[in-house]
Amino acid sequence: MKYWAILGIAARQALAARGGLLGRLLFFWALMTIFSQLWIAVGPEYAVNYTWYLGITELVALGVPQIYIGIEQDVRRGDIAYRIGRPISYVGSKIVEGAGEFAVRFAVLATFGMAGTWLLCGQLPAEPWSLAFAIPLAFMAGLLMLILQALIGLSAFWLQDAAPVYWIVQKLLFIFGGLMIPLSVYPGWLHDIADATPFSAMLYGCGRLVLDFDPALAVDTAWRLAAWAVLLLGLLILVYRRSLTALTVNGG
Amino acid sequence: MRNTLRFLKALLTTNLKASIALRGAFLMQATFMLLNNLIFFVMWWVFFDRFEEVRGWRVEDMLAMYGMVAASFGMFVVFGAGARDLTRVIIEGDLDSFLGQPKSPLLQVVCARSQASGWGDIVSGLLMIAWSGYMGVGAVVPALIGMTCGAVVLLASTVLIHCSAFWLGNNDDLNRAASEFLVLFSVYPKTVFSGALKFALFTILPAGFISFLPVETLRAPSFMGVAAVVGGAVLYAGLAVGVFRAGLRRYESGNRFGVRA
Repeated sequence: MKYWAILGIAARQALAARGGLLGRLLFFWALMTIFSQLWIAVGPEYAVNYTWYLGITELVALGVPQIYIGIEQDVRRGDIAYRIGRPISYVGSKIVEGAGEFAVRFAVLATFGMAGTWLLCGQLPAEPWSLAFAIPLAFMAGLLMLILQALIGLSAFWLQDAAPVYWIVQKLLFIFGGLMIPLSVYPGWLHDIADATPFSAMLYGCGRLVLDFDPALAVDTAWRLAAWAVLLLGLLILVYRRSLTALTVNGG
Repeated sequence: MRNTLRFLKALLTTNLKASIALRGAFLMQATFMLLNNLIFFVMWWVFFDRFEEVRGWRVEDMLAMYGMVAASFGMFVVFGAGARDLTRVIIEGDLDSFLGQPKSPLLQVVCARSQASGWGDIVSGLLMIAWSGYMGVGAVVPALIGMTCGAVVLLASTVLIHCSAFWLGNNDDLNRAASEFLVLFSVYPKTVFSGALKFALFTILPAGFISFLPVETLRAPSFMGVAAVVGGAVLYAGLAVGVFRAGLRRYESGNRFGVRA
């Protein structure tokens, strides 16, 4: 119940920040414009499919709010000391708060961003039904990214400044996730490395559906996202416990 | 004029010292930004490994362009990161403490903050330029002029964008997004763009002066190329100063009593 209330408040706050939503949407359209031009320059045969692929991967990359910043600030300022005393999990509330904001951003990008992509491409993906699978999976991937960001935020307990860790993880997401180009065109060895990370399921797993739709691929991506979510949640709980111990030792 | 230049030199020196004052944070931010840029370029390496060229642009051209933009951006945020806070400063009435000083308030605002991560951008930029193979002896001076002018255009454009707050009020989110567009459009092969979009990239979003022209000073150094880059920087800097001054006439004081030392 408490988590639902937090989710609702965060979503309403995100809806109220119209300038931020518009800015993000414009950024999404700008990226899609550049890449549609890039793919046309590379070869007309890539233009439609690869632009739609990027549309799906950018839904995740641009939709997820940076919740690590709030966690980092709470750790650095010491605010976390009184926040953990509340009858609700601190990290859980941060993730749920981020999910509320993400849901609004995602809805806006999935509606208007995808409409813009359609306009740019002049047509839907070869198999239009693939969007009905790719978009919900992209939402799942965004939730997984929130868990990762919570982990990044907790790194502030040891590093103070979590931003550099975020930069690196974000770039690993772009490369191993196949943000710009599908992993299928990567050199084999790099594709294998990427597949061993959660990033591959988060971006490529969702985006590949608009390139070559197969319901079995959608199920495979859903399973991989769920497995990584369980693994990363376990890691998050472990790291959170360790960080609370560090907090107690240092006197809060 | 000489006084202003002396003041600017003092501000830049102070920013330089400020950015390296906290050695641990400085090293971490600079190193991670360096890694960040190098890791990001892997994406383009994979791209060109697969497609070889985009209308005549190859991976070495991308390295040169990425390097120039990274170095320019690094110089911008090391010496003038305050420009990125301009909307907040205008809206919250924080300009008061700058207006009471005898020197240019714009210079003070933009040089009020330094971002240590910019050093990582500068180093990664120089490394990429070196790897591109374009850095011959004859290209050193034009390249330095190109990246400095790129930094000036980035700074001036950021000021221009944030000055809209004088007329439109608090639109910080949109202004930040617009500032990100500047960099976004600057790091793609210029041969990709054509028509109205290309025109916009030399005017509304001056990516042309941030990357397309500066990188030409490296790829094919020429007097005309350098003159165009310097001309663009002077034009945008003049425009930023003019618009800021016009905006000051509409500025509403925040009734701040604080004094900046």
